[in-house]
Amino acid sequence: MSRPPTNTPAPPGALAARLRRSRAALGAVLGLGIALLALLPASCGRAPGTVAEGGAIRFWNGFTGPDGATMERMTKRFTAETGIPVRMQIIPWATYYDKLTLSLAYGDAPDLFVCHANRIAEFARYQVFAPIAPLLAADPSFDVDDIIPRVRSAATYCGTQVALPLDCHPQGLYYNARLFREAGIVDAGGRAAPPRTLDEFLAAARRLTRDEDGDGQPEQWGFAFTWLRTNWITFLSQFGAGILTPDLSRAALAEPPALEATRLMRDLIYRYRVAPKPEGIDAWMGFRQGRVAMAIEGIYMISSLQTQPGLSYAGAPVPRFGPNPGVWGGSHMLCLPRDLPAERQARAWRLMRYLSDHSLDWAAGGQVPVRRSLLRTARFRRMTVQYQFSHQLPYVVFEPPSPKSNEVTPFVDSAIQAVLLGIQSPRAAAADASRRINQVLERP
Amino acid sequence: MSASLSSARRQEAATGYLFALPYLLLFLVFMVGPMAYGFYISLHEWHILGRQKPFVGLANYRALLADDLFGIAMLNTAYFALLTVIPGNALSLLLAMGLNARIRGETALKTAFYLPVVLSVAVVAIIWRWAYSTEFGWINHYLRLLGLPPAAWLNSPKLAMPSLALMSIWWGAGGQMLIYLAGLRGIPEELYEAAMIDGAGARARFRHVTLPMLRPTLLFCLVMAVIGSSQVFGQSYILTAGGPLYSTLTVALYMYQTGFSLYRLGYACAVAYALFVVVLGITLVQFRLLYARREGEAR
Repeated sequence: MSRPPTNTPAPPGALAARLRRSRAALGAVLGLGIALLALLPASCGRAPGTVAEGGAIRFWNGFTGPDGATMERMTKRFTAETGIPVRMQIIPWATYYDKLTLSLAYGDAPDLFVCHANRIAEFARYQVFAPIAPLLAADPSFDVDDIIPRVRSAATYCGTQVALPLDCHPQGLYYNARLFREAGIVDAGGRAAPPRTLDEFLAAARRLTRDEDGDGQPEQWGFAFTWLRTNWITFLSQFGAGILTPDLSRAALAEPPALEATRLMRDLIYRYRVAPKPEGIDAWMGFRQGRVAMAIEGIYMISSLQTQPGLSYAGAPVPRFGPNPGVWGGSHMLCLPRDLPAERQARAWRLMRYLSDHSLDWAAGGQVPVRRSLLRTARFRRMTVQYQFSHQLPYVVFEPPSPKSNEVTPFVDSAIQAVLLGIQSPRAAAADASRRINQVLERP
Repeated sequence: MSASLSSARRQEAATGYLFALPYLLLFLVFMVGPMAYGFYISLHEWHILGRQKPFVGLANYRALLADDLFGIAMLNTAYFALLTVIPGNALSLLLAMGLNARIRGETALKTAFYLPVVLSVAVVAIIWRWAYSTEFGWINHYLRLLGLPPAAWLNSPKLAMPSLALMSIWWGAGGQMLIYLAGLRGIPEELYEAAMIDGAGARARFRHVTLPMLRPTLLFCLVMAVIGSSQVFGQSYILTAGGPLYSTLTVALYMYQTGFSLYRLGYACAVAYALFVVVLGITLVQFRLLYARREGEAR
C-alpha cells in the first residue's frame, strides 16, 4: 500500500476525519507549549539569602586539588564539633568566578565563599560583600590584630574590611637540592645553599645550566620562568615598581624602575643564558623532572612536588634581585554576600572563625597561615618550605587593589610574554601595555 | 459544501500553525528575544554586578572603533577563515571525489573521514594539544626523527593560528565531504558521457561539468564555512586562550572574555552585533556573487 503524496488534496470527509484525529494531538501540543511556558519562571533564580535546605551553610570554593580534600576534612570536623552542617561546593577556578558572579548578581549566592585577594576590589566596588566589622565586634575573643597587617589590608576596600584572610600564598624559590650538591653549591655543612643575592643567583644558575652535548640547547637549566605575570610582579616589586602607580590611576610599567626589572628578566634568557625562552617548555614540569634547578613559584605548588618520586626539592625566600625585598603573593579570602540574613551570617562566621583558627591544618596542604600566633608554633616550623616562604610575609606584594585589576592583567601577561620571547623590547612592550591599561583605567 | 471545505482548510492551517507553535515559542524566547535584548544591552554600560546600567547610546560601538584588540581579533578571525575555508573545502571536495569513484572500502573510509565530526571541540582540542605538545607531541617526535627542529606549535605567535586552522580542517572536513559527495552523486552521468564524447579530459570534465553542477553545493558549503569560521571560539579558548600575544584572539573569544571574564556585557553585546553585521555582509556578498553568475549563465 503506497502512501499518497503529502500535497494531494484530501476529500472533505477524509479532511474532517484528519481534523478530528489531529484534535487529540493538538491538545497534546498545546499542553506541551503551556508546560514549557510554565517552566520558565521556575528557572529564574532564588532571592539572595534564601535559607538553604536543612539549614546547612552553603560554602563555595575552587579547591579542586588535594586542598579540596583538606578543606572537606576541616568542614566535617567543624560539623562534628558544632553540629552545624556544611554543604560545600567545589567549582573549578576556571569557571568559579562566572558562577559566583552570576549568583551574586541574580540570586542564589552561597552563605560563604572564597575570593582571591586580587579580585576583592573588583567585587567590593559593586558592594557585593557584607562588611566583616559587625561580626568581629560580636566576637571579641577573635583577635583581628593577630592577622598579618599586609594581608589584612588586602581584605579591605575603601577602609572597610570585607573579608577574612584564610591564608597567604607567596612565591618563593624552589630549588633542586641534589643538583645544587652535585654542582658544589653547598654551605660549610655540605648542604645545598640557595642563593640570596643576584650575584649568588647568577653564579648558581650558570653552574647549574648544562649543555652536555654542546648543541647549544642545554639539557639542564639553572632557572626557568613559570607563571610570567607573578614572576614579573616579584621582579618589579624588588625594584620599587609595579603594574600601576601607587594611586592606581595610571600604568607604571614604562617607568625606569619597571624597565630595569624587566630588562633583568630578559637578560636571564638572552644575556646570561641561564633560563629558556618561555616557549614550548613546561617550566614547572621541568623542575619536577630535575631538568630545571630553580623556579620561583607559589607555595601551593608544593603538593605537586610531594608526589614527585625521587625529587630532592627545598624552598627558600626569593633572592634579592633589586634594591628592595619583594615577592608576589595571593590570598584566599573568606567572604559573605551582602544580603545574607543576620542569623545566617552568624552561622557562617562560626565556620570562618573555625577555618581561621585551624589554618595550620590548611597550611599543611601548601599554604602559609596569616595568624601570627600560628606562624610561631613548632608545628608550623616543621612545615619546612612553608616556614621558609613565610619569612617573606612582611614584604609580600599583592596585585594592585584596583577594581580594574582583572581587566588590566591580560595586558600584563602579553607584555611580559612578548619581552621574554624576544618579540618586543621591554620599552616597547611596556608602552603598548601601558597604553591599553590607561585606556581601561580612564573608562568610568 | 465549498464553505465547509474552506472552513476545514482554515482549521487545517490553524492546526499547522498550532503544531509549529512550540517551536515558534522556543524560537522567540531563546533566539529572537535574546537577540533583541542583546541589542538593548549593547546600548548600555552594563556590568553584571552594577546596580545602575546607564544608557550610553552608540558609545559601545564607537569604542569598538578605537579598540585595537577588537581590530586584532577581527584580523585574526579573517586570517582563520582564510586558512580554513578554501583549504578545508578543497580537501572535502577532494575526499568526496575520491569516494565518488566507487572505490573498495568506501563505507569504511567514509566513516573514518566523518568520525572527527562527531567529536566535540573539547575532545578534539585535547587530542591536538597532545599532538602539538612541544616536548611530548608526536608531530615534533617525527620531526626530530627526520632531523628537523621541533616547533612550538601553540606557543609561537606565527604558528599558533595555522595550528588551530589545521586542527579545524581535520575536525570539519568529513562533514562537508558528505555534502559534496551528495552533490556529486546528483550530477547526471550523461553529462560526463557527453563531455567524454566531445573529447573532454578529466580536468575539463571537472571544470565544465562538475564545478558548474556543484555550484549550489559549493555555495552552501562556503557560506556555512565562512559563518562557522567567523564564530571560531572553542579551539582558541581551550588551546591558547587567545595567545600567544593575541595571535589567536578571535572575535568570538574576545566577546566571551569581555562578557564573562570582565563582565562588561554592554560592550560584549556590541562586539557580538559588530560580528553579526560583518558575517551578514559577507554572506550576502557570497550569495550575490554565486547567484549572479548563475543567473548570467541562465540568460
